[in-house]
Parts: sequence; structure tokens; C-alpha cells
Amino acid sequence: MEVSSLPISASQRAKLISAGYTTLSSLFSVSHSDIARDLEISENEALEILRVASQRRGSERSDGTSSIVNGAQSAWEMLNDEESLGRITTSCSELDDILGGGISCKEVTEIGGVPGIGKTQLGIQLAVNVQIPMDYGGLQGKAIYIDTEGSFMVERVLQIAEACFEDMRGYHGFLKRDLQTCQLNMQPKDFLENIIYFRVCSYTEQIAVVNYLEKFISEHKDVKVVIIDSITFHFRQDFDDMALRTRLLGGMALKLMKLAKKFTLAVVLLNQVTTKYTEGQYQLTLALGDSWSHSCTNRVILYWNGNERYAYIDKSPSVRSAAAPYAVTGRGIRSSVSNCKRVKMM
Amino acid sequence: MTIEDFLLHDLYALLISTEQHHNFERLKEGITQVLTIINKKHQPWLSGQDLLDDALQNKHFLPTGCRSIDAFLHGGLREGYLTELVGTSSSGKTQICLQAASAVAKSWGKVVFLDSGNSFSPKRVAQIVNQTSDLSSYEVDEAFQQVMNNIVCLSVFDIFTLFEVIHQLKHNLRSQIDQHIRMLIIDSISSLITPILGGGGAHGHALMVSVGFLLKRLAHEHDISILVTNHMVAGERGTSKPALGVSWRSIPHVRLLLSRDHIRNISCMSILRHPHMATGDRVEFELQ
Repeated sequence: MEVSSLPISASQRAKLISAGYTTLSSLFSVSHSDIARDLEISENEALEILRVASQRRGSERSDGTSSIVNGAQSAWEMLNDEESLGRITTSCSELDDILGGGISCKEVTEIGGVPGIGKTQLGIQLAVNVQIPMDYGGLQGKAIYIDTEGSFMVERVLQIAEACFEDMRGYHGFLKRDLQTCQLNMQPKDFLENIIYFRVCSYTEQIAVVNYLEKFISEHKDVKVVIIDSITFHFRQDFDDMALRTRLLGGMALKLMKLAKKFTLAVVLLNQVTTKYTEGQYQLTLALGDSWSHSCTNRVILYWNGNERYAYIDKSPSVRSAAAPYAVTGRGIRSSVSNCKRVKMM
Repeated sequence: MTIEDFLLHDLYALLISTEQHHNFERLKEGITQVLTIINKKHQPWLSGQDLLDDALQNKHFLPTGCRSIDAFLHGGLREGYLTELVGTSSSGKTQICLQAASAVAKSWGKVVFLDSGNSFSPKRVAQIVNQTSDLSSYEVDEAFQQVMNNIVCLSVFDIFTLFEVIHQLKHNLRSQIDQHIRMLIIDSISSLITPILGGGGAHGHALMVSVGFLLKRLAHEHDISILVTNHMVAGERGTSKPALGVSWRSIPHVRLLLSRDHIRNISCMSILRHPHMATGDRVEFELQ
């Protein structure tokens, strides 16, 4: 294995190669002080290089006899895992149906649409719904809400939380006959307690927060959803170097996907729309460009159809493309057909 | 005598020049030793007949799980080849990867799926496997589990992890002969490479080329069919172009462009590069 594929800084790599250390095995035959002298770097730096290199070699050696690649899972195991995986309901049964039961954990879902279509409303609804207790078919988790636009209205959250609480109580009354032990020990205020809010004012802050999330979530394992409202805002201004933007976004997307996978949580990214010129006409598409559109596992587009709001599954590896109507009511996101009063419990 | 001498001068001239040296016997010995080491480094040569035999015996065509594509590609994805799928978002790249994985796992053997976009959906694979199943219901469960166990998936989120995995694969394939892998899928390779490209410095390019090189070598030596996906970015005047561009273009053996007509729900595959098919040939097919 060669030094050029080690995850170390470019200058260290260049120094290593020009000093003649091109393969991993050449590094292990000398001590760290030799390397420090040859490369004219501090001993600590040399130790760090050796640590990275030995980590790499360790993974090469430890060939688990059963698996071909360390840490890999077979599709059979994954299928069994996935069946136990929770989903977050959107409170609109039609939308849940086309999503295959709700927003799924372990995946990154992007939701985009024109201004006023209800992206933030859906974001808040998800932040509330993720806390529905397990007895009621929810995930009983916490939500992280990263607000870049300043559109997070706490009064509105309380309103949606109260409606969700009422629905649960109604459901509780309905269940009471056969399930006496089931207690609803949550108050609408508790919903607010469990939403962790980050306000982000520039794209550097946004990247910093995303980098910090891994550490934060490893300390707060009950976080089940990360919502970024919106991923776009800061990246649509103050950017001259579009190639840099693509790289930053690509790196951020990979980090978010890693989070989703590692901590079994749902990542929901809200996105704005833009016009794109293709084949002689202007079309509405989600912002941030073509490269970005590959970064999400699922993509949901919200749009107006006459006077009704519709959601369309634009991209998903597991469910087929489909559209469903939904409504934004005083109580949050609901089914539009019946304007139904009760949140659908799974 | 320095390394530079070895690299720059004719070695036999070097040998003669040592004769003026006081301990030329030892130097001479050293030079011949170095020469034999260098000579041993080269790979054994093969004749065209050997290559043909190897190709006919060991390089099979693996199915993609879609009949019209298989017919179009004269049998499917060939072992020993690095095949690349290029297409815009939601053009069906991942679907073809999942279909090919299911088809190969079913009738050929092990598949390794490296996933950089959380897009591997076991549920979808189960759906495809069950759809094409023609066994009696008694056999189905066990056979189904076998097929699902044949697909091994790993999430990869940066290029260095990819290097690590490739090295591990190489190492494990050498030491364990029974673990034959038929297909390696990387969906998508472009999202791993694009973050390291640009920003000054040729290092990103070097990594990209060495990934391609390692993959091709792996494919050839172990008779694996490798399938990677590449996405599209906006090019000039509203057109789109592959994210991995000019310097990547020459690496894969086969490059296939996917596009999709959302209204008619028909997908189209056309050839951008192929060892023996004309560029621009195309086939239309339907994804289930």
C-alpha cells in the first residue's frame, strides 16, 4: 500500500514522498524520530503520521475470516434490520403512504418547494412527531432543528405540539378500554423541551454545526431527526466560486449521510427552488444544482396543483414515484381530503 | 554511486565505468544483483492466445437483470471490465445497480456493494429477487435468504475508506480462494471523488486516477465485473456533463449514458465508450 492514499495533509504527504518513504512498509522500519528528522517536522507530527499508517495497516491485517470486507453487512441482515426501523409520520396519511410509512431513519430526505408551500411547517411537524411515545407508534426521540433562515416560530411549534397532544389524548381515550396501563405522561411544553435548536448565520457556521453534530449526537443518543431549514439559504449568496460551493456541499452531504447511518436517525433537508433553462424553456427545479441533487437518498417536491398542495416523490431507491395531496391547517400538516381532525397513528 | 546513476545511465555502461574503481568486484556484484531484482519485477508476458483463453474461460458476461440491456450489451457486464453508468439524478442508475446485484447474487455468486449515498435499499432488492423468482414456494425462503446473503453492502463516505476497502478486498481475495466475488458495485464513485477535486493542487486528480487504476487491476486479476456510477453536473448553455470529466473519461472500459423520459416512463441507455461497440448505439427499456 502506498503513502499517497493515506489520509494525511498534502504537505506531509509531499514531504514523505520526497524523502523516499513511498510505501507503508518503509514507514514501519524506522522510528518516529528518524521520520521527524528526515522530513524536518516535529516529533509529534511524525508520531501522528505513524499512528494513521498503523491504523491503516491494522485494518489490512485483521481479516475477519467470514467477511470479505470488514464492517460490511449482507443484504439479508440489512433487510431484517430495516423491518425494525422506525419511521416518522408526517401526520398526513396520504403522504405517509407514498413515502412507505413516513420519513425513514438512516436516510437523508430532501424536501423542496416554492415559498409558502409549507416546508417549514412540515419541518416543525416532523420535529414534533418524532417525539410521539413508543406506545403510540412513535419513535420517542428528540429533534435537532438547524435554522438558517430564522423562520422557526416557537408559538407555531407550541400550537402544533398542542394539536398533536390532543390527538394523542383522543387516541388514548379510544385505547383506554383495552389498554389501562398506557399513560400519557407528556405535556405540550415537553415537546418544546425536546427540540434542540441551532441558529446559523453564515455558511461557515453551517459547516461548523454539521461537523459538530457527530460529537453532539454521540452524547445525545436519543436524537432521532436532524432538520436543516433550509440547507440552501447561505449557499445561495456570497458565492463567487461555484466549484468551491459544489465541493463544500458534497462534503457536507457525505457527513450528513454518515450521521444518518451511524446513529440510525432521519436527516431532513429543506431546499428552495430555482429556475433552470433546459431545452429552450425555463423550468422550476430545486436549488443548488445538479451535483447536489445526487446527494440525497430521497427527494420530495412540494407544489401547488390548483388550490391544493401536493407532494411528489421525485427520487427514492425503495418506493416508486407518486404524488399525494396534503394540507397545512392551524393544527399542522394534515390530510387534505377529509380535513381530518385526528393524526394517523401507526 | 547513487540511485540517480541507476536511473539515468545505461546499466551496462555503468558496469564498465566501475572498472576504474578500486573495489570494482563488489560494485559489479551489487549492480548485477540490482539488475536481477529489477528484472524479476516485471509481470510474466502473455501471448494473444493466452489472453484469448483467459477471456473465454474466466471473463464471463454477468446479467444486469434487464433483458433488453443484456441483449444490447451482448450478454451484460463483463468480468474484468470496469463499467461506468453516467446519468442525471433519478435517471435509474441505482435501480440498474440494484437489479444487477440481485441478478448476479441469484445465479452467479457474491456481490459487494459499496454505497456512498445511503441508496442501497434491501427492501427493493428483496422485491426484485422475489419478482423474478420462479421457484416453488417451498424452496423460496431458503433460496431467498441465500441470495440476500450473497449481497454484501458497506457504506463508504470518503475516498480514503474506499482505498482501505479496495486493499482489503485485494488482500482477502488473494488469501481466500473460495471467496470468489463476481461483482463489485460502487454507487456512486463520483460523490466520493468530487469533494477532493479542484481547490488547487493535483493531489485530487492523483487519487482519482489511482482509484481507477486499482479498480481495473482488481477487476482483471480476480475476474470481477466492476460497476460504478457517475453523476451529471451542469455544463455550458444548459447542457449537462459527467461530474468526473476529461481525466476520468479514459479510465473505464465501458461508459454507458442513462437518460429517462419521465412522461413515457421509458429509460434509454446509450454508449459513450466501449471496446467493440459503436459510440452512440442506444436501447430503450423499461424499469419495473
